[in-house]
Amino acid sequence: MLLANHGFVDDAHSAASSKNMPTLRVLGESVTCESTVAEDIKSGIDEAFDDIVAALTRPLTEQEKSPQMKIEDAPRIAFKGNLTEVNQFFYRKGWGDGLPIIPPSEEAVAEMMEGTDLPADHVVAKIIPRMGKATVEKIAVNAVMAGALPVHMPVLIAAVQAVADPTTRFDTFEVSTGSWAPFLVVNGPIRKDIHINSGSGALSPGNLPNSAIGRALGLIVKNIGGARKGIEDMGTLGNPGKYSLVLAENEEDSPWEPLHVERGFKKEDSTVTIFFPNQHAYSIPRGTDAKGILDSIAGLSPRIMNALMMIPSHAEILASEGWTKSKVREYVMKLGEADSAKSRPQRGDASATSPNTPRDALMIVVAGGAGTWFGVFKSTGGGILGNDFVSKKIELPKNWNELTAKYENLVPAYVRY
Amino acid sequence: MRKILFIAAMGIFAFMAIYVISDAFFAKDASEYQYEVLSPWAEVDPITPRGISPRVDTLAGKKIGLFVNMKRAARPIQAYVEKKLKERFPDCQTSYFDAPSQKYLADNQEKYAAWAKEMDAVITAVGD
Repeated sequence: MLLANHGFVDDAHSAASSKNMPTLRVLGESVTCESTVAEDIKSGIDEAFDDIVAALTRPLTEQEKSPQMKIEDAPRIAFKGNLTEVNQFFYRKGWGDGLPIIPPSEEAVAEMMEGTDLPADHVVAKIIPRMGKATVEKIAVNAVMAGALPVHMPVLIAAVQAVADPTTRFDTFEVSTGSWAPFLVVNGPIRKDIHINSGSGALSPGNLPNSAIGRALGLIVKNIGGARKGIEDMGTLGNPGKYSLVLAENEEDSPWEPLHVERGFKKEDSTVTIFFPNQHAYSIPRGTDAKGILDSIAGLSPRIMNALMMIPSHAEILASEGWTKSKVREYVMKLGEADSAKSRPQRGDASATSPNTPRDALMIVVAGGAGTWFGVFKSTGGGILGNDFVSKKIELPKNWNELTAKYENLVPAYVRY
Repeated sequence: MRKILFIAAMGIFAFMAIYVISDAFFAKDASEYQYEVLSPWAEVDPITPRGISPRVDTLAGKKIGLFVNMKRAARPIQAYVEKKLKERFPDCQTSYFDAPSQKYLADNQEKYAAWAKEMDAVITAVGD
């Protein structure tokens, strides 16, 4: 039997069902989550103890011995109605994210699938916890809902491959109380082809690919993976980054080799790199020389499984004084490590380092616009999770040039006032 | 007079045309157009569910496994459960399995299975 705080009982049932054990006896208790108070633990367990004994001794029911899973009624056509009715139907089914959706009609989904040469029934991956089949068609349905364009499909397919890679430890980050959000960095020629913002306000709303790709991935995680808020996705506070956290690296204005080349891809490849931060800290440097920039970055304690978002002008200053990405990484992690270790809550063997996670696993991405701010996006891992950044190559369909030409001018044109 | 009638007729015609066009192109789009939409909810492979292990009739004299995950409350919860078990069933035995990380558990499935097989019953505490 499994003992969990009352707030995790539904989650435990979903987890057991996804592991083929739908009748696992789950007992809710009232101990404060991750409690460090002996009295609290004592009173919670005293209250639950008779039920614990009963859960281990009460004879099994027929259903517990030989469980029958309910066959889900999942017709391909979900609904017919007008715009408002479709939106309300999807919202009530728990298939949305709170914002209006574009109705995924047969025609819209077919058009979305023009963004790939893969057949509609091709299973790109099975997504946990439900092990839902991420077919090209299901990815396209969710992409339409999010307002994505067919030219975004190649990025989404690569992103689905990335989250399904066990190295991401998506199984933990997707559903964890820590409210981690997928952060996607796109590199290579596709950035320009589909106009992903790498400059000013790249992570703010206002650019279709930056917004729709992340939104679509969030819907895919929910509707294909089955991670629903408060049931399987147990993020305690939640994270607005789950709406979308997507940008491109500004390769043209970076003095260093781009992220994907650093990670073993060719410059002409297009890639998506993913990890799951839950803290975004922005700061300005104490001085705009190399030391001022680096010491200030170190003050935010970047460490393993963090991303350093550096604006092109800072990168240029550092490069002009001989700083490579590797030297920057080494310097800021060494300086920042002591403070970081002091403030980290201890769980499990936090000092252990996984052989899968190199000590230099600090991602450096050049992006952002005018100004003097830098950012550190913090995740966790290495020692206790064995996770790492994951990059996947983005495969383009044969009709790529014609497809991108259709959306060539689809960019915001702000009028000066 | 004919001129006035002609202008009036043209006015009525124009009004009706605008009404029909707006009905066809605007009102219908906004509230009448019917969308037949595909489901975003994924299919899963059929699975054969497993039943849970038979229960013991009493915990007296039994070997009770206490599984502890990585979260910090799991161990003290189980320590208190153990104390309560020994108070109520003095001759029961307990055995811990500590999974200090999720990776550890994934890498030690055989060790875990061998431990669980030795137990008459197992209580899992996840610390949340």
